[in-house]
Amino acid sequence: MMCIYEYEVKGLLRQAGIATPRGKLVQDPGQAREAAGELGCPVVLKAQTLVKARGKAGLIQFADSPQEARELAGSLLGRRHHGETVEELLVEERLFLQTEMYLGLAVDYSNCRPLVLASGGGGVEIEELAAQSPERILRLPVSPSQGLLPGQARQVARFLAKGYHDPSLEEELGRVVSAMYTLFVGRDLEMLEVNPLALVPGRGVVALDGAAAVDEDALWRQPDLVRPRNQSQEAFQRERDFRRRGWSYLRFDGDIGILSSGAGITMAILDLMRMWGGRPANFLDTAQMDRQGIYDAFQIFKDDPAIKTVLVNIFAGLNRCDHLAEGIKDFLSEHRPRFQLVVRMAGNREQEGRRILEGIGVTPIGELEAAVRRAIEVTEERS
Amino acid sequence: MSILAFKDTQVLIQGITGKAARHHTENMLAYGTRIVAGTRPGAGGQQVAGVPVYDTVAQALERHRIDASILFIPAKAVKDSALEALRAGIELLVIVSEHVPLHDALVIMEEKERQGAVIIGPNTPGMISPPENAILGFVPTRYFAPGPMGVASRSGTLTYELVSRLTAAGIGQSTCIGVGGDRVVGLRFPEVLLRFQEDPQTKAVLLVGEIGGTMEEEAAELVGQGRVTKPVIAYLAGQTAPEGMKLGHAGAIVDRGRGAMKHKIEALESHGVQVARQPAEAIELAQKVLE
Repeated sequence: MMCIYEYEVKGLLRQAGIATPRGKLVQDPGQAREAAGELGCPVVLKAQTLVKARGKAGLIQFADSPQEARELAGSLLGRRHHGETVEELLVEERLFLQTEMYLGLAVDYSNCRPLVLASGGGGVEIEELAAQSPERILRLPVSPSQGLLPGQARQVARFLAKGYHDPSLEEELGRVVSAMYTLFVGRDLEMLEVNPLALVPGRGVVALDGAAAVDEDALWRQPDLVRPRNQSQEAFQRERDFRRRGWSYLRFDGDIGILSSGAGITMAILDLMRMWGGRPANFLDTAQMDRQGIYDAFQIFKDDPAIKTVLVNIFAGLNRCDHLAEGIKDFLSEHRPRFQLVVRMAGNREQEGRRILEGIGVTPIGELEAAVRRAIEVTEERS
Repeated sequence: MSILAFKDTQVLIQGITGKAARHHTENMLAYGTRIVAGTRPGAGGQQVAGVPVYDTVAQALERHRIDASILFIPAKAVKDSALEALRAGIELLVIVSEHVPLHDALVIMEEKERQGAVIIGPNTPGMISPPENAILGFVPTRYFAPGPMGVASRSGTLTYELVSRLTAAGIGQSTCIGVGGDRVVGLRFPEVLLRFQEDPQTKAVLLVGEIGGTMEEEAAELVGQGRVTKPVIAYLAGQTAPEGMKLGHAGAIVDRGRGAMKHKIEALESHGVQVARQPAEAIELAQKVLE
């Protein structure tokens, strides 16, 4: 799941013919003042972060003058929000709306169907509404091969426009939901939501906020959506490289690096480690458990100063312990890493792998739990 | 007996000429799986490990009875190959490929429903029925042994870890199915449980779950309804995983609070499914329920 920024979502919505407020993306307070002058006050300043819940965090502010916009921009830029730094603001005209609605597209994974989610009440309380008055949320399953049918679009529009007795509003909402569904499938989105979808006097239906997540497995057919988001160029390149290789990598704040193959077993190792008081630094799941893959993985651990110990878990089913041991040997013959090494090795060609490692002074452990305990112990001894 | 794959199950390999497919075809044949044909557009007339290759699934079906197809196909092409097999009437598909795009998987699953077929995967090492000497996929066969335990798992390597310990403890398996690590998969825990319930050789079931999704909760509900009366135990990976970040409301509205680890464990335990906290405990639970 790859989330994209609000201003990107709004760009996609506009391309699909859905109205959004007039706005400008800015990177510094001076630009914010200019934007406010051009758009006309009042304006709203919205911090661009991937993690939402910005309103409660004070990351959405209103300004009545360009000067105020400049000052507010100064206080918003550089703020931290769940590990992200605010680097860009979307300055938009402030619209005074008549009604807030909710319109979302998601996947019901248990039934393997896309779902249209719609509610006549929008805003941040939508989840509460869904829990307490489920009848006030429309959930409409869609056939993946047929797409959203015209009759279904009308059904959603009627539900949203209930009580307005306005055929042209119904028609406009029908057009919006169809356009959103086309976007959802055409851009390989896992989730797309407009909340609120507002009714603005004189302007019609306007998407005031938008969120979307792109399917990472389909990025090859959405190349224009691949770009760094709140990360260094270096981190972005690394992420791309990992994706190309089919590796997954997650960083935590501990001091034990974990190299393992398969998400399930790696999560099981993290569980054991945390239950027994160890602190995982990261998790690297390499699909490529061969000589070169192991060597390359060790490069990542070497470059991370927080890592005191590396735990390698190899349960060789299809791959071979001796190849993996050769990869470790290759690395250690060229580098003198700061970290201590604990290896759990079992399975295919275990004896051969063991001999190679013992030849370079590393004694592999045969049992998973013992290896996790050992990794925690040697890390504690060092600190 | 086992479920889904048997001694006489006749198997097609789609994409049989690829390097990995060749290798796994040889391993499957060696274990006893009856692989009768392969496909690869443009390679019709060739042979791989003595197995005849055809250009299309339809051509293979003219010459052979085919009960199941295993797709060794790049993710980008899985949709077309899966639809080809389903529309030709093949009733069991194993999709091993990782990284199948979500919207492609949704189209595949809809066609599966329409055809009344069964799909295992995507993103799975496949399945094995040790009593029947049948493997569809590439689980490492040496860790498996025939016996009373049915196993269904969302994770390949974690399955090998647990099953090798079961086998070492003298507990063999009736059938072991990797249901797939993706959010959209064909055969899900509830359907696997119902099949194990019907299978006389299966005496108990081990579910190997993970954080996320709602499959574990659905399995728990089924047990709660009394539709599965054999003992079911579970081990879940990700018990200490931090909660995900808030990225929007849609996911929460769809899942209605399910998917979190706490909720999964509560759901399973409240319906009498014991949940192991550690891998070793899963083996102890298995021994206990089989006594």
